[in-house]
Amino acid sequence: MTILLSRRALSALLVTTSLAFATPALAQNEIKIGYNADQSASGVAELGIAGLYGFQAAIEDINAKGGVLGRKLVGVVRDDIASPPKSIQNMNELIDNEKVAAVVGPTNSGNALAWLHIPQQKKIPVISHVATATDITARYLKEPQNYIFRVSMVDREQLALLAAYAIKATKTKNIAIVADTTGYGQAATKDLLEILALHGIKPVAIEKFGPKDTDMTSQLAKVKAAGADMVISGSLGDATAQVLKSMEKMDYYPGLLSTWGSINTPLINIAGPKLAEKTIFAASTTEDANDRAIALHKRLIAKHPNMPAFVSAAQGYDAVMLIAAAIAQANSTDGEKVQQALENLGKVQGIIKAYDKPFSKEQHEALGVADFHLAQWKDGRVVKVDNEIVKSLTAADLKR
Amino acid sequence: MTAILQALASGLALGAIYGLIALGFNITYATTKTFNFGQGAFLVPGSLVGVSLLLLAAGKPHWGNLAPSEMTLLSYGLATLASVAIVGAIGIVLYYCAIKPFVGAGGLNWVLSTIGFGIILQNAALAVWGPASIAVPSPLGNEVWRIAGAGIRPQEVLIAAVAISVMVGLDIVIRKTRFGKALRAVAFNPQAAAIVGINVEKIVIIAFVISSSLAGLAGMLIAPITTASVFIGLGVALKAFSAAIVGGLTNPRGCMLGGFLLGLIEALVGLWRAEMREITIFLLIIIVLVLRPGGLLGARSVEKI
Repeated sequence: MTILLSRRALSALLVTTSLAFATPALAQNEIKIGYNADQSASGVAELGIAGLYGFQAAIEDINAKGGVLGRKLVGVVRDDIASPPKSIQNMNELIDNEKVAAVVGPTNSGNALAWLHIPQQKKIPVISHVATATDITARYLKEPQNYIFRVSMVDREQLALLAAYAIKATKTKNIAIVADTTGYGQAATKDLLEILALHGIKPVAIEKFGPKDTDMTSQLAKVKAAGADMVISGSLGDATAQVLKSMEKMDYYPGLLSTWGSINTPLINIAGPKLAEKTIFAASTTEDANDRAIALHKRLIAKHPNMPAFVSAAQGYDAVMLIAAAIAQANSTDGEKVQQALENLGKVQGIIKAYDKPFSKEQHEALGVADFHLAQWKDGRVVKVDNEIVKSLTAADLKR
Repeated sequence: MTAILQALASGLALGAIYGLIALGFNITYATTKTFNFGQGAFLVPGSLVGVSLLLLAAGKPHWGNLAPSEMTLLSYGLATLASVAIVGAIGIVLYYCAIKPFVGAGGLNWVLSTIGFGIILQNAALAVWGPASIAVPSPLGNEVWRIAGAGIRPQEVLIAAVAISVMVGLDIVIRKTRFGKALRAVAFNPQAAAIVGINVEKIVIIAFVISSSLAGLAGMLIAPITTASVFIGLGVALKAFSAAIVGGLTNPRGCMLGGFLLGLIEALVGLWRAEMREITIFLLIIIVLVLRPGGLLGARSVEKI
């Protein structure tokens, strides 16, 4: 009898609690946006941290203007510590438990590729504000509705810019590729080979190294022997720093171009401020790019004095702005309707640029090679590169 | 030619680290016929404790990046001594938790218990320091010394110098001192050693302390080259273990030789094809094990069945 009673009591309790969860009065007035990105673990964690600052700033700005559909935006933040299982878990939690309307993230392409199927099946729009792998937005391109969008650099596009620069800068037409053996490095190598082939150029050396290697002198010795005067590094910031350190050891300084991983402080911490200035890398924006960027940078630095990479803060900010505009246009938080609204957006003012029809059925990249520029470290800050070679680049050079 | 010289310089520094850790495997294997399979995890507190001490001394939180100005040879030396002492103390805990319950009992329980202890240690470090890597400046500065065109960093010279002195020092201790005699006696026959009045357990504990300290020292030495992080240990320890097997687990000089051999092979094969390094090393290990099961300098093992 006592058992029966307690079972009844328990089930009564369960019913009331589940009811309590089902109709939280507050949630009616809120729209939740998830944020799932590495903010602590890998070499690109700084992009996740700065991205979060931008994400929060955009939510503040929208709420200051009365929110969306008369409801407040609320950010639900998760750190995936760069681990795919954790990232998948976060994604399920955000969608199933937190009932977010959309997700911004992640930082690591590998994590995105691990969970893309979840938002796609559950019809929750995702804007990747950092991860750059070409395949992220392309995987579900053929589906009736593709829920994955991006406001970030795309590997293929940034490599196209690097290749175009390398070809203008080389005097000997001897270009080499160095890349780590991770999926990222190998995909970059493949993209680079294809892009260089469009220019009719075959790299004189293609060298690999392990992601944890600290001495690349033997690989660089072969690059040097092949006579390369421009080297493109398809690796994350830490590895590019080790490439620079090995170049210093050999006193061999060809032009070194790298992907936007170099925008993170591990490059400058590991290679040192002087050596870090020797690589030129691709970036979508810099803190001095336009008035809106200057204003946002000032505001974020006041709040977070140690804010690293501004670039992902701008991308995180713009991602939220686009989601908010889509929810307003759809007049709903229903994933299917928001996805359609994203593909039919009108003008939205962002930090990086004023977006005008940023997405369509076939185009899920808000930014393209025309929006990117080249940057480098100078006295501990990231600045735009504006030399003769950059000025001579034309649209026709950006083959991809 | 410069490229080969460059590879030799890089290989020697790397080899010295392998040799140092391999020596740690030797010293406990000799005394207990067990060793710490989780040795790689001991590099982690070795480097992180030292770096945190330096950060705290500079008035910063325990986690962050060190500025080159906050690193002097003296402060680096003191931090290294402190972290060697702390990791040595962890060695005592290791002995009581993961070795003593299983030693002499036969079976492979100690293999799993030491691996488990290492995983516990690594995850504890993950909880304290987080997963990101910390850039550590070298106490000798970051410029490059040039020898006949090949560049070598002062830290690499420091690694080789410290590692070789520690190896030579330990070699002398083992061969010349009363403690060394006791150690060898325990290694040869623990029962007989106990009968002649040697405190076997004390010797064994000291062996584990030395072994762990060596890993701690290695962690602190390589931090300026690899950065300090929770994930530095595993790859290095696996190579060190291979070095011990190739050189001879029972012979301390063999372990050092194995370390240098592996470091040099790794660097020189890298000159040819980077992705062939691991293949070459592990092929070599298999060949050595087939031809000389005890390793290059190891005693010919006669297993009684």
